[in-house]
Amino acid sequence: MMAPNVSCLLLAVLFSAGCKVITSSDQICAEKEANKAYNCEYLGLREIPDTLPNTTEVLEFSFNFLPTIQNTTFSRLINLTFLDLTRCQINWLHEDTFQSHHQLSTIVLTGNPLIFMAETSLNGPKSLKHLFLTQTGISDLEFIPVHNLENLESLHLGSNHITSIKLPTNFPTQNLKILDFQNNAIHYLTRKDIDSLKPATNLSLNLNGNDIKGIESGAFHSKIFQNLNFGGTFDVSVILKGLQNSTIQSLWLGTFEDYEDQDISSAMLQGLCEMSVESINLQKHHFSDFSSTTFQCFTQLQELDLTATHLKALPSGIKGMNSLKKLVLNVNNFDQLCQINAASFPSLTHLYIKGNMKKLDLGAGCLERLENLRKLDLSHNDIEASDCCNLQLKNLPHLQCLNLSYNEPLGLQSQAFKESPQLEVLDLAFTHLHVNVPQSPFQNLHLLQVLNLSHCLLDTSNQRLLAGLPDLRHLNLRGNRFQDGSIPKTNLLQTVGSLEILILASCDLLSIDQQAFYSLEKIHLVDLSHNNLTGDSIAALSHLKGIYLNLAANNIHIVSPYVLPILSQQSTINLSHNPLDCTCSNIRFLTWFKENIHKLEGLEETVCANPPPLKGVKLSDVKLSCGITAVGIFFLIVFLFLLIILFTFLVKYLLRWKYQQF
Amino acid sequence: MQGLTAALLAWALLHPGGGGGEAWPTHTACRDSGLEVLYQSCDPLQDFGFSIDQCSKQLKSNLNIRFGLILREDIKELFFDIALLTKGSSILNFSYPVCEGDQPKFSFCGRRKGEQVYYAGPVNNPGFIVPEGEYQVLLELYNENHSIVACANATVICS
Repeated sequence: MMAPNVSCLLLAVLFSAGCKVITSSDQICAEKEANKAYNCEYLGLREIPDTLPNTTEVLEFSFNFLPTIQNTTFSRLINLTFLDLTRCQINWLHEDTFQSHHQLSTIVLTGNPLIFMAETSLNGPKSLKHLFLTQTGISDLEFIPVHNLENLESLHLGSNHITSIKLPTNFPTQNLKILDFQNNAIHYLTRKDIDSLKPATNLSLNLNGNDIKGIESGAFHSKIFQNLNFGGTFDVSVILKGLQNSTIQSLWLGTFEDYEDQDISSAMLQGLCEMSVESINLQKHHFSDFSSTTFQCFTQLQELDLTATHLKALPSGIKGMNSLKKLVLNVNNFDQLCQINAASFPSLTHLYIKGNMKKLDLGAGCLERLENLRKLDLSHNDIEASDCCNLQLKNLPHLQCLNLSYNEPLGLQSQAFKESPQLEVLDLAFTHLHVNVPQSPFQNLHLLQVLNLSHCLLDTSNQRLLAGLPDLRHLNLRGNRFQDGSIPKTNLLQTVGSLEILILASCDLLSIDQQAFYSLEKIHLVDLSHNNLTGDSIAALSHLKGIYLNLAANNIHIVSPYVLPILSQQSTINLSHNPLDCTCSNIRFLTWFKENIHKLEGLEETVCANPPPLKGVKLSDVKLSCGITAVGIFFLIVFLFLLIILFTFLVKYLLRWKYQQF
Repeated sequence: MQGLTAALLAWALLHPGGGGGEAWPTHTACRDSGLEVLYQSCDPLQDFGFSIDQCSKQLKSNLNIRFGLILREDIKELFFDIALLTKGSSILNFSYPVCEGDQPKFSFCGRRKGEQVYYAGPVNNPGFIVPEGEYQVLLELYNENHSIVACANATVICS
């Protein structure tokens, strides 16, 4: 009994081992771009597979197993420009690893437990621009070999054990634009630390998640930075004092849900008076004494982001904020729009009040002093109004972009946006609109180019709905319904002849009249996906040429031969996810499909639904031989018919002849 | 010996294709005062660790949780989907943005593919009482490209 069991065990072990070998050699890298870009992630590879061509330029090799990398590891792939070695369990980077890789510009070593990088391990690339050493266990910046970093533009050192940003004296920084020290243990910044970054110009320095406790006074004296990020700092006054006499384009001082922070008092923002900042972000902070004096050092500011700062109102009578161009007040607690006291910011061009925590009442004329406003975002605010929007958005003569998406129902009358005649983009997606027939709410928006009306529950039978939009190029009507699921000959699109992009996806359409799109002559994209259209609806596009046509996820079984020329004249067509017929009754279409395969998109998902043996087979793989074509059948029937007639005549004649004999 | 053979047979049956069908073990996120939360990673490539600090039928608001995982993707933008089912019928579907470009809510927002993330902190949930019963919960974290960051099949048993 023993022997067979042992052999069984052996067999099982061998079998399992065999299986493993097969699976690992079976797995091949995915080709992203022929001979150039490959993805080999998560394949458990221990070396570069032989299947990769020598011409490979972009190689995503993360989550494999390369404990040691040396000059033989990648030697074959000398054209590499981008190499991602994230989490390959690399311990050692030996001498001259990238010696022959002159084109290499990006090396990603994130998440590798590096023990040592040889002095010459990064030598070779002529212009190494981006180096990612995130979470590699670095505690001392001397760890990074400096010999070939002259061209470095970004250095990522996040999530390490670094305590000082001071770069080694011979560290080349002249081309450095991004220096990322996120989530390290840096608590103090000294004058020497900042001086070590000196040759770099317009540097972005990220110290997010480091909790800076002190900055040596004068450390930032006459220093210029593009971006400085001190996100998650407990006491922002430490930062603002430390940045004295600096010039900063953008300063990020926000905090997070999971971080403790000290409430900001007006006194803590005093430091802003001693520096020059264009843009500041204070997201998620609490303010202890919010008043007009809070802003006394904000006079030079151009952009202010107060996202989720628990604001119920902005104080009235703020003075000297004439230069503010962009104000972000998303995710706060306003009841009424007038509570932002917009008059304090007369130069504002961009205003964002998105995702208010309470139902926002637009009031009347709350923004009327913002004559320069170009962009206004009021989305996700539960705004409700029975008669919008002339009173609410009074006097915004230069408004170009208005977002009112994701709100409660709005009632629109004719010329509902008369106060903003310069509108170019209007987004009303997912906001139910009540428009009485035959009102034209968008009348006189002479410059409107983009109108998003998706999921607005529109009354599409109103033929005047889109009247007065001479320049409209992009119209999104996704998710709106048409009476009886059909677009008739006369419809609301007839007034928008300048359309270039039309989206009618998910509209439950069953049919489109042949002449429904007749007025649309400039169109170059029509999206009719996710409807219940059949092949006959294609006839509505007969006058259009060279368009992108999306017919995915419809109910197309058979495409009649008479619409094939209409498809042929378009540039790109998507017919995926349709119940296509792969029998001889659809042979003309199937032949056409093969001949026009270069025009078709979504080939992987364009499969047969019928006949049952071919269900799920890609149309491009179907080989059908239909012995007799329809014409053939016709001639056969005619032939048989003639034969029968001839036969009857013959029989008649024979019988007559026979009877005559008697 | 017979037992060993049986075990081998069972092993072979449970591992079709030599490891392809392997499932991650089921972990306990919390078990306390009548509430039990079990979860299993449905990401074929990795498991993750998760626990809830206080577990009770009367779920408190702003719970503290702990989780640890390796990021498969950058999470400059991160979204959280939850689907709640009981006895096969859906009760609740919910999507929540965790990290967004213009509002990184948590300190881990913006971390990169390959980073190991450990988070211990609040989740900003509303408090509610869990009615008795057994619930299936499908949780999914994904980034702006809809690439999976984490996925879990959870079971909540309230008795």
